[in-house]
Amino acid sequence: MSRPAATHPVLDPTLAPPFPQAVLPVLRNPQLRKNVAHAIDVIQAKRASLVAEKTDWQELRSAASAIRTHALENLGTYLEQFETRCTAAGGTVHWAADAAQARQIILDLLRQEKASEVIKIKTMTSAEIQLNPFLEANGVHAFETDLAEIILQLGEGEPSHIVVPALHVNRSQVREIFARTMGLKDLSDDPKVLTNAARTYLRKKFLTIPTAISGANFLIAETGGVVVVESEGNGRMCLTLPQTMITLAGIEKVLPRFQDLEVMLQLLARSATGERMNPYTSIWTGVTPGDGPQKFHVVLLDNGRSSILARSKHRQTLKCIRCAACMNTCPVYRQTGGHAYGSVYPGPIGAILTPQLMQMHHAQSLPYASSLCGACYEVCPVKINIPEVLLELRAEVIDQERKQPGRALDPMYWGLRIANVLFSRAWIFHTAQWFGRIGLGLFTRKDGWIHSLPSVGGKWTQTRDLRGLPNQTFHSWWASRGPQSNGVELIGGTK
Amino acid sequence: MRASLFITCYNDTLYPETGRAVVRLLERLGVELDFHPKQTCCGQMHANTGFRCEAFSQAKRFVRLYQDTETVVIPSSSCVAMIRDQYPALIEELGNEELGHQFATLLPRIFELSEFLIDRLGVEDVGAYFPHRVTYHASCHGLRGIHLGDRPFRLLAKVRGLDQAPLPNLDRCCGFGGTFSVKNAEVSSAMLAVKLQDVVSTGAEYCTALDNSCLMHLGGAMHRQYAGMKTIHMAQILASTEEFPAEATL
Amino acid sequence: MSAIVQSRKMILDRVRAAIQHPGKDLADAAVEYSALPHNYTRRGSLSTAARLQLLIDRLREYDAEVLECNAGELPAVIAAQLAASGRHTFVAPARLPADWLAPGYEWRLDHGLNTAEIEEAEGVVTAASCAVADSGTIVIHHTAAEGRRVLTLLPDWHLCILRASQVVEVLPEYFDRCRQQPNSHSSEEDLSMVTPALATYISGPSATADIEMTRIKGVHGPRFLHVILVREQG
Repeated sequence: MSRPAATHPVLDPTLAPPFPQAVLPVLRNPQLRKNVAHAIDVIQAKRASLVAEKTDWQELRSAASAIRTHALENLGTYLEQFETRCTAAGGTVHWAADAAQARQIILDLLRQEKASEVIKIKTMTSAEIQLNPFLEANGVHAFETDLAEIILQLGEGEPSHIVVPALHVNRSQVREIFARTMGLKDLSDDPKVLTNAARTYLRKKFLTIPTAISGANFLIAETGGVVVVESEGNGRMCLTLPQTMITLAGIEKVLPRFQDLEVMLQLLARSATGERMNPYTSIWTGVTPGDGPQKFHVVLLDNGRSSILARSKHRQTLKCIRCAACMNTCPVYRQTGGHAYGSVYPGPIGAILTPQLMQMHHAQSLPYASSLCGACYEVCPVKINIPEVLLELRAEVIDQERKQPGRALDPMYWGLRIANVLFSRAWIFHTAQWFGRIGLGLFTRKDGWIHSLPSVGGKWTQTRDLRGLPNQTFHSWWASRGPQSNGVELIGGTK
Repeated sequence: MRASLFITCYNDTLYPETGRAVVRLLERLGVELDFHPKQTCCGQMHANTGFRCEAFSQAKRFVRLYQDTETVVIPSSSCVAMIRDQYPALIEELGNEELGHQFATLLPRIFELSEFLIDRLGVEDVGAYFPHRVTYHASCHGLRGIHLGDRPFRLLAKVRGLDQAPLPNLDRCCGFGGTFSVKNAEVSSAMLAVKLQDVVSTGAEYCTALDNSCLMHLGGAMHRQYAGMKTIHMAQILASTEEFPAEATL
Repeated sequence: MSAIVQSRKMILDRVRAAIQHPGKDLADAAVEYSALPHNYTRRGSLSTAARLQLLIDRLREYDAEVLECNAGELPAVIAAQLAASGRHTFVAPARLPADWLAPGYEWRLDHGLNTAEIEEAEGVVTAASCAVADSGTIVIHHTAAEGRRVLTLLPDWHLCILRASQVVEVLPEYFDRCRQQPNSHSSEEDLSMVTPALATYISGPSATADIEMTRIKGVHGPRFLHVILVREQG
């Protein structure tokens, strides 16, 4: 049994190989693909049946999209309001322009608490800023408490999904990880037994470690409240038992009003896990005397978000509420799982979010990691038109390529530049068709099909044949047909 | 009724029989067809790959060529989706007001083939005869791009002799995606393998669609794998009669 | 700390510069907000009986045990539930109605219990603020009859008492109740329905599906959820 960590690179977009290369080990891993497809099919079926019962689904989507758009268009106002209210309720708000600042703020807070250990609720934002390895290097061990995150932390694996991060790991792999790292030799691979092992492993940590880190699903500007949704109760443990709570949240997480949750919560659970409502939703506002942590810090993270906000077509990326419905429905993700995206944000939303967070300096292959099938837009509960943003980003990648001297070596690049000339005049197009028929004729076998092509064409013929070009194009048939002709032999085949 | 056929670049080059079938079908239904000899491409391949300026020059060309046309029929839902979804942004960003106006008046007169038959001509029974078991593949652009809905099924239901075989996971992409099929050839092929399993499981003789691009992808794999199944554009099924049966193309 | 102060200004400047109308303030935002579409279902359409039945069905789908009774029967029903649980030590919020504390058990009222004392308890009995039938959600605002958050977290067995009048059909109805200002006729329970500083929404017992999407009940929160629904008299 291979350990997940060994086969995958760290999810760092600055180091990750391009998507077409990164998928190769995954596509050769039948176990991983089976695990991913199974998990995805289960969630998809649950989601479909619960969305179907909601007669106002489209109205909820419209409302959610409008609320999120409005929040982003007034982001400065709402961030300040959140800060004011949270501070008034006893919280402390910190602002981090980038990942390094956020890491340092959190480390400084932990040092003030003299913490050498910290318990964590699953937060993709902390993975985005690579918090755990940084804390470890600085003498603070972070204990993940979400079951999936424990599996990954103990197995030294990386998350492959934002809601179910260990969906690529199956029960026997979990059994192996737990048996090895928890010293439980006789563990069975029954998910119930494995879950119990995690409960026992964590219970003492919850009761003894006095400092916790969380993410946030929403920040409420009107009240200064923070919302975390979860299933297991590990979140409630971390939010309730420690003395100090540090919440890391992207600046885009703000909702204007408490009431907005009536829309968001209805959409989120159905989209994310196929439940009417997730088992636990926790809301807290600053510090409540006698109840829960008496020190509360929020770290508001920019890390590229404000630059996304600046562009009107790209801005919708920030509406995301991290439900993962797009990756669950994505036919590409279903084949590849999440690691190939080289980012903690995989799938369609990752394909648009990651390159933008990298300000287009890295992850330029991700906008092309989509067949533009549109399934992601159809399921998105906040109506992010992911294909539209993918196309915007593709145009930016090509604009970068136009300025690069190496572009002449990319057959795709000059192929499309030439094609543009061919399509500019009908006579040039028709001449090219003629040459194409002669050229492809060299590769066409007696059965009329092409089985192998060089260069880019070989990418097609590695798994697919291509029918040879017919002798007569449609336009030349039309020209030869004469004005009144109608009848026989019009619809026949090529030979 | 007059209509002008935009055949699309790849149908012109690779699948002329689809064009011939559209001509036969529409003329049988009394449509006076016309073909603009200067037509080339709608610009989809460039737009979807990120070549926005190039895509715009083809969009401009398309709008200028067809601005005086009564009705344009296109036997490709992905090209229709390109025009409806991407032209507005391209023209707004790179075009001028005049072009924008020309496009706005042209847009409602552009029809995908099944839309033209059902919405414009008001026919479902086109008098076709095709005695085979057929499964319909809903292309992503037809399904989610231009929302063809049940139009293709209604047309097929009225074809005499035709036995419709429902395709499992109808809404799942075949993995073609234009340049995606070569830029991400391995993922595209993995998606194709899954789709082909579903298609073959129907036990149909033919897989049909309203996009030859998907069919080129599926048909290429069927031919490679000796799948014992063929692809055929729906225009060719609808054009087929007892007197002039269609011949399979792939 | 100066770097952080600078970051605050930098982020807010960037965010404002990114948006076309940087001069807008909270009042402008409020005007814009009021025009947002809210065309989803805001009111339930079921009869009272059907609404309560829906809640019961949903709770049972989550493996919660649900009993119904009249107000007069409540103390006896609570006692029966405690007896059936086979448990002996219970914690309770400081202001749980006295007649809910059935005799014959060890009751630890929360006048500042420590974590160990709560952890040792075998169960907890609380009131609630609201319930949403459509999603089978129990809303706790952590008032004096509902208890601090830790009370309903550590014990493995949670008995929650709901009044029928607290049950709404759809989630927006709960949020509407939160917005209603309390008036002179408000009872103590109604006062709990202002926008909460602390809230926990419980939709079934703690669960996970992280291993092969197999739903496992009971990870860290209470594994057993019992609900008594008190129908109004008459």
